[in-house]
Amino acid sequence: MRVGMIALAAGTASLVMAPSPGTAQGAGGGAWLHVRVEEPGRQSKVSVNLPMGAVEAALKAAPDTVVSAGRIHLGSEGKSVSISDLRRMWAEVRATGDTEFATVEEDDETVRIARAGDVVSIHVDKPSHREAVRVEVPVDVVDALLSASGDQLDVRAAFTRLQKRRGDIVRVNDEHSSVRIWIDEGR
Amino acid sequence: MLKLLLAGAVAVPVATVGAVAATGVVVVDVREGRGGQHLVIPIPLAAAQVAAAFVPERDTRLHLGAQAERYLPVAREVLTALAAAEDAELVKVEEPGQEVSIRKEGSLLHVRVHERGQQVDVQVPIAVALSALPEAGGRISVSQAVWALQHARLTQVVEVQGADGEHVKVTVY
Repeated sequence: MRVGMIALAAGTASLVMAPSPGTAQGAGGGAWLHVRVEEPGRQSKVSVNLPMGAVEAALKAAPDTVVSAGRIHLGSEGKSVSISDLRRMWAEVRATGDTEFATVEEDDETVRIARAGDVVSIHVDKPSHREAVRVEVPVDVVDALLSASGDQLDVRAAFTRLQKRRGDIVRVNDEHSSVRIWIDEGR
Repeated sequence: MLKLLLAGAVAVPVATVGAVAATGVVVVDVREGRGGQHLVIPIPLAAAQVAAAFVPERDTRLHLGAQAERYLPVAREVLTALAAAEDAELVKVEEPGQEVSIRKEGSLLHVRVHERGQQVDVQVPIAVALSALPEAGGRISVSQAVWALQHARLTQVVEVQGADGEHVKVTVY
């Protein structure tokens, strides 16, 4: 369940940070966002391929639901984190350089958050190796997102940075399904 | 005098056919299953547009909630962005006995649904979809949407094949 929540949050974050039409057509060329969901048990496959311009347009409606009153709301349990706290945490994390800065080991899962080069990776693994979440967020995307002042996220600046990203953003594998979200130049 | 009458008799239908051909015709072809009726109904686009202009104002308004109205500009932007994008398969869903595909093909959105012997094919010109989106206040411009079908000339916009052999085609010429 927790793995699913993290995957959902990561997926939402990656989608919220998709580039804008103007910028996507500019430096990033014709970037496309791809989503694949497979459930082999149900013989079900879903494939979505969208130009970044369309994704960004669609997500214009999203920020209000993700951020309100300067806080990012996580899940449906009323948990939230303030943007200023997030900015402070990120400044400390950023200053540490390449390192594994958080490891949470519980009976049923291990969560590792690490920075390697220009990417922050979040790995969630179940001991059975049947469930795994891989999220990779470029450092400069987070920098850009938190570059606004006060209780604001600069989503547009994050879009601009993310458009340079090519490759996987989110991978989730569990017993019954797999989800992959990535950006590339192809359709 | 006779020549003038003959010329008039030929010119009027030719001009009418020419005008109809120039503005477009929607042909609805309905074939009922198991030896049933076969209906072919041609509707000149110009006539449909004129008829649409007479749709009472109150019937062109949708009661959209504030939330839904907020998404209209978003839908418009998404469609505009899709129109500018390269052709591609945007969505594909495969499940046992069912397949749904949405492709962008030129200026059209092609939606194809196959489900247990039934097949639905819809090709919506993006221009029509944009015209069909309600304006502020929930108003739909019916005649504008009909006129936008001009962008779908020589296109089979709808094809439905039922499991019992019924077949419906709507083609714009």
